[in-house]
Amino acid sequence: MKYCKRICTGCVLLLLIATGAQAQITEKAEFGKFAITNAIIHTVSDGIIENGVVLINGEEIEFVGRNAKITTEYQRIDAEGKHLYPGFMDSGTQLGLQEIGAVDVTNDQAELGAFNPHVRAFTAINSSSVSIPVTRVNGVTHVISLPVSGRLSGKGTLIDLYGYSPDSMAVRPNAGLHLNWPSAQKGGTWDDRTDEKVQEEYEEDLKELNEFWKKAAFYDKMVSAYEEDPSNKEQPDADKKMEAMREILNGNVPVVISVDRKQDILNAIEWTQEHPNVHFILAGVKEGWRVADEIAEAGLPALVATLYTPERDYDNYQRPYQNPAMLQEAGVKVAIATGDVENVRNAPYHAGYAAAYGLGKEEALKAITLNGAEIFGVDDKLGSIEAGKQANLFLSDGDPFEPMTQIEQVFIRGYKIPMVSRHTQLNDEYLDRGAGSTN
Amino acid sequence: MKKFILLNCILLLILSLNGYAQEKGSVLITNGTVITITDGTKENTDVLIEDGIITEIGEEVEAPNGVATIDASGKYVMPGIIDAHSHIAAEDVNEWTHPVTAEVSMEESIDPNDINMYWALAGGVTSIHLMHGSANVIGGQNETLKLRYGADMDGLRFDGAPRTIKFALGENPTRVHGQNFNVQPRTRMGVEQVIRDHFEEALDYKRNRQQYLETKEAYESGNRDNPPVPVARNARMEVLVDILEGEIWVHCHSYRADEIMMLMRVFDDYDIENFTFQHANEAYKIAPELRENNAYTSVFSDWWAYKFEVYYSTAYNASILNENDVKNSINSDSGELIRHLNHEAAKTVHYGKTSKEDALKMITINPAEQLGIDDKVGSIEEGKHGDVAIWSGHPLSIYSIAEKTFVDGKKYFDREEDPNDMRVKVDPEADYDEASRRWYEEGGRHGDSCLRGAEIRFSENEMEL
Amino acid sequence: MKLVRAFCVCIVFLTAISLQGWSQSAPAQAFENVIIHTADGQVIENGTIVWRDGLIRAVGENVAIPFDAYVHDGGDSLHVYPGFIDGLALWGSPDDNGNRGRPAEPGNPSYKRAGIQPNLHPVNEMKTGDKTLKEASKHGFTTAALGLKGQMLPGQIDLFFINGEQTEDQLLEEGIGVLAQFEEAHGTAYPSTTMALMVQYRQLFYDAQAQQEQQEYYASVSSDYPAPKKEKVLEALYPVMRQEQPFYFVADSKENIERLFGLQDELDFEAVLVSGKEAYTKADELNERNIPVLATLDLPEKPEWMKEDYEETEEVTDEMETFREKQEAAYRERMQNIKMLQEAGVSVGYASNGLKLADIQKNMTALKEDGDLNSSQILKLITQSTADILKYGQRLGDLKEGRAASFTIFDKPFLEDEAKSVYSIINGELTEVE
Repeated sequence: MKYCKRICTGCVLLLLIATGAQAQITEKAEFGKFAITNAIIHTVSDGIIENGVVLINGEEIEFVGRNAKITTEYQRIDAEGKHLYPGFMDSGTQLGLQEIGAVDVTNDQAELGAFNPHVRAFTAINSSSVSIPVTRVNGVTHVISLPVSGRLSGKGTLIDLYGYSPDSMAVRPNAGLHLNWPSAQKGGTWDDRTDEKVQEEYEEDLKELNEFWKKAAFYDKMVSAYEEDPSNKEQPDADKKMEAMREILNGNVPVVISVDRKQDILNAIEWTQEHPNVHFILAGVKEGWRVADEIAEAGLPALVATLYTPERDYDNYQRPYQNPAMLQEAGVKVAIATGDVENVRNAPYHAGYAAAYGLGKEEALKAITLNGAEIFGVDDKLGSIEAGKQANLFLSDGDPFEPMTQIEQVFIRGYKIPMVSRHTQLNDEYLDRGAGSTN
Repeated sequence: MKKFILLNCILLLILSLNGYAQEKGSVLITNGTVITITDGTKENTDVLIEDGIITEIGEEVEAPNGVATIDASGKYVMPGIIDAHSHIAAEDVNEWTHPVTAEVSMEESIDPNDINMYWALAGGVTSIHLMHGSANVIGGQNETLKLRYGADMDGLRFDGAPRTIKFALGENPTRVHGQNFNVQPRTRMGVEQVIRDHFEEALDYKRNRQQYLETKEAYESGNRDNPPVPVARNARMEVLVDILEGEIWVHCHSYRADEIMMLMRVFDDYDIENFTFQHANEAYKIAPELRENNAYTSVFSDWWAYKFEVYYSTAYNASILNENDVKNSINSDSGELIRHLNHEAAKTVHYGKTSKEDALKMITINPAEQLGIDDKVGSIEEGKHGDVAIWSGHPLSIYSIAEKTFVDGKKYFDREEDPNDMRVKVDPEADYDEASRRWYEEGGRHGDSCLRGAEIRFSENEMEL
Repeated sequence: MKLVRAFCVCIVFLTAISLQGWSQSAPAQAFENVIIHTADGQVIENGTIVWRDGLIRAVGENVAIPFDAYVHDGGDSLHVYPGFIDGLALWGSPDDNGNRGRPAEPGNPSYKRAGIQPNLHPVNEMKTGDKTLKEASKHGFTTAALGLKGQMLPGQIDLFFINGEQTEDQLLEEGIGVLAQFEEAHGTAYPSTTMALMVQYRQLFYDAQAQQEQQEYYASVSSDYPAPKKEKVLEALYPVMRQEQPFYFVADSKENIERLFGLQDELDFEAVLVSGKEAYTKADELNERNIPVLATLDLPEKPEWMKEDYEETEEVTDEMETFREKQEAAYRERMQNIKMLQEAGVSVGYASNGLKLADIQKNMTALKEDGDLNSSQILKLITQSTADILKYGQRLGDLKEGRAASFTIFDKPFLEDEAKSVYSIINGELTEVE
């Protein structure tokens, strides 16, 4: 019986793969030299250039400006009246790790166990995920994809949304270690734990985390000492989890701390200060506006969304929308992170809400481009339209934060991406089934 | 002492809020750009609402004595948004235990204290279709509400709205009953037969009950010697009979094209005429058939891939349906999406270039028609209810913000006078830092609010999901 | 002074204990030199109370003690109160009525599994050794309407004199009402929601009507008619349908009370509201409908910041200030529930309905502090007023000639700190409280 079930699951899987393949984009991306002319270029790093030119050569942006000599080897794209933006980046998703939420076998974002610093989202990115083309045709070219379970869930990866394997898509295979901060606050009226119990559980969780951290520090010290001078030393046994912590402890790879509530944020901040060499980023931060000054003072950046309901019933209804602006005003660097999978394509609207509720268009644009790139240390490649950076950009017929705007052409890593996805293909097929169709 | 007086004032205020909640209001909104929905967009136009009814639309309308005037120059005036699929303001959502629970009604499961209503008002929404969940093939009856936040259960009901009922096809009922309890239906094949079986049972009940009542009358009036054998009144069967007699409109949770076709065949066999397919992610495949059967659809703007039956979806669904003349609405099914249904509608412009006019219809007059309240709301017309919102800009723009929302001419939301704490009911034992996180998730698609209640029960009993 | 008083009490105690055997065989008994508190708030210093054959014979200041009465001396320091009455207690009820487990079809559970057992009687189900039955008299309770724990219709309500293990033999009246609640069936069974409970109430009435009708028809003819069922669950509802027995309906929220009204309009039963935490929101309608309330004393905990010894640990923001204003208003409303009901003309008594005995004194004290009721009003609430609602107002609830000799003797006024009952007289029988 169980075997039967397994076969069934297998069949479903095969079916999924088959349908997936069918919906794959048959049209190939073009690669080479492109000249985008007459565009309104929103460089992000250097203001807006009206009637500008961007030259793309291979993976890179070769030129950004007003007057460029365009030789015939460049494929010209006349963008008269169109807007050119750097590709958008969603700094917190599970894109590529999950295909269908309710079908367990297609879910790769949650490994078992509480401490998994060694597991990597990079390993499990399904480059054929139907959600990837669906996302990129909306102008989102990059995402951080994070494992989500346990205390230390594993390392997230920063990928672009074009490629045949994780290897070709990854900008940073190990972009950040995900830490789910233990909560010291009661969930709500349905949470029937006593205050004491909540505190006790929090302290237990924190102790566990601290012990793990201490062990990792010891391991790093021990192995470093051995590596420096192995003579007269017995080689320590390798420990993969501990090994995975070394790049965290020396600050090369950041820790992304998911934390939402006020007291939890304060606790997390206090904890980060015990680890001065580690690079920390806060994520979620739904009640960040309550402690914006404290976050700013700690110098921590925040990955935030806007389209969720207020954390507390008595909160003003606008707080989720205002959170990015309130954080930014206090001096916190904010970047958009939807936490979504198949609808990461809505990241621009999260930014749009932030813009409308205090952040302003310019800062909101940064929050979905350059800020994320800076936070994850890839602003040499991503985040703005500048010569020498990777050619990640898109053309639109208007403000991309407006849902009514059309995204007309996307470039990722210099590739001119076919503007096709499962969703457009189904539209093409079914919009008009033809007169008298009996299909 | 002073504090005590202040407290009593607050107390009085709360009590009076309750008392006045159902009152209808009068207001003159001047110089706005009025999106009438049914009669174009009129610039620099005044809208007069008297005692809850729109009485005049035009230029230079005079405010009658005592009626306040609100200047809407530079702003947009739009009918209140109607959400054809919602579970906010609900006490329980799913009586999931039986594949058919037609007898229960959301009318008796209203939570008038839900802050989500206020948050929806702040998104320009004035009416919702409070739906039963999707755990059963024939679920409970739904209730159409007006967001008269502060009113009691009865005061929230939309007077004169036709009765509607929830049906559900596909994964939810087959999972809850077949997979978890070994009770039919386990498959889509079974779903069809559950419906047909119950319709037949209802017809039998109607005949038998009728016969019993007639015999009883004859016996009691001496026209018959033998007493009748009583056929007990049956709450479930009576509702099913009402469906068959066209008194209750069907709103069916459905995703796949095949199951939608199935239900249309069944309805055709039983002459059921007024129905809306809710969610209907694959409606795009069979738009001509839907048109042919005069079916309505009410869809998400872009939700998909959260389960297998929505994997083969397209965000162009609404536009394809619209192009094929299927009357469609955009709904929320969520306490989050309901806060910005205007932008959910705007996505139909993005996916498929639906006109702005049609996009707005999908959150106003179309859902009104699907709920049978289009003679009362859904557009700004003289004689209709004064359910309107004033927006800072064109409502489809992401930068536009709802500033004031009126239901029956009474203002229920004003961004300028928007205090922090808008709860109508306060649990005195909830601590400041702990008060109030709702027990259900509102994180977009992750919370399958249609199965709310059922899921909770499963996890309580550590059942396989 | 305190010492002297304690000494007195000790002496009284010792005498009483040594002479108890005697007193029980005396035809009549009396307490003299006691402070007598009647339900209407009267206080008789230097009082005397005489009882015989289970009834109070005389109460007052200058009362002639019959020659055959055994006299206990109160030493001027003991307080006599009418026995407290609990309008609905779950003392002695088994925790589980077999209404758990997974039914084969969750949508069609048996009546029992669904928590529908209006035919059960506490007198048959009671755990006589239950310690709450003993504890009750320590807290001054001498009489209680007992119900069973459960869900929708857990059973009948039987009225008892409460006297520890002997309670079972002290049944006053069986079936003074039928307990009804808005409690869903446990776990995976219908009804699992409030809306299904509403329908289930209706459907039970429809089915009971049909069964009753068939039974009547069957009785009226001699042949050619099928024998009716005799489903006990449905038969137990006949008296409620005929308004011979009220539903003791447990409801707390405003909405559930409105739902109760809706059911009453449709099904036409007599109702007593039990618990009613938010009954004040419906005070006028309760009055119009003539529904008495057996109110709970399960009162909200006072918010920390409202307590006198509270010290602020963080800055009070505007937001917090608003929150506190609303919280205080909500707290005050809930505390004044009983007061507001009484002012609207509703008849209010008391029901513990599961509230721990240990919490009762604490809550009565809170009621005195923040509920706008004084000691004698609270006393009346838990004595005469409750007796009235149970329709025993002429027999129980006060210290008057002709009433049942069920009263309690405390060492201090009953609301004072650490007040303890020292004797309880239950239906004429004196017991010394350990």
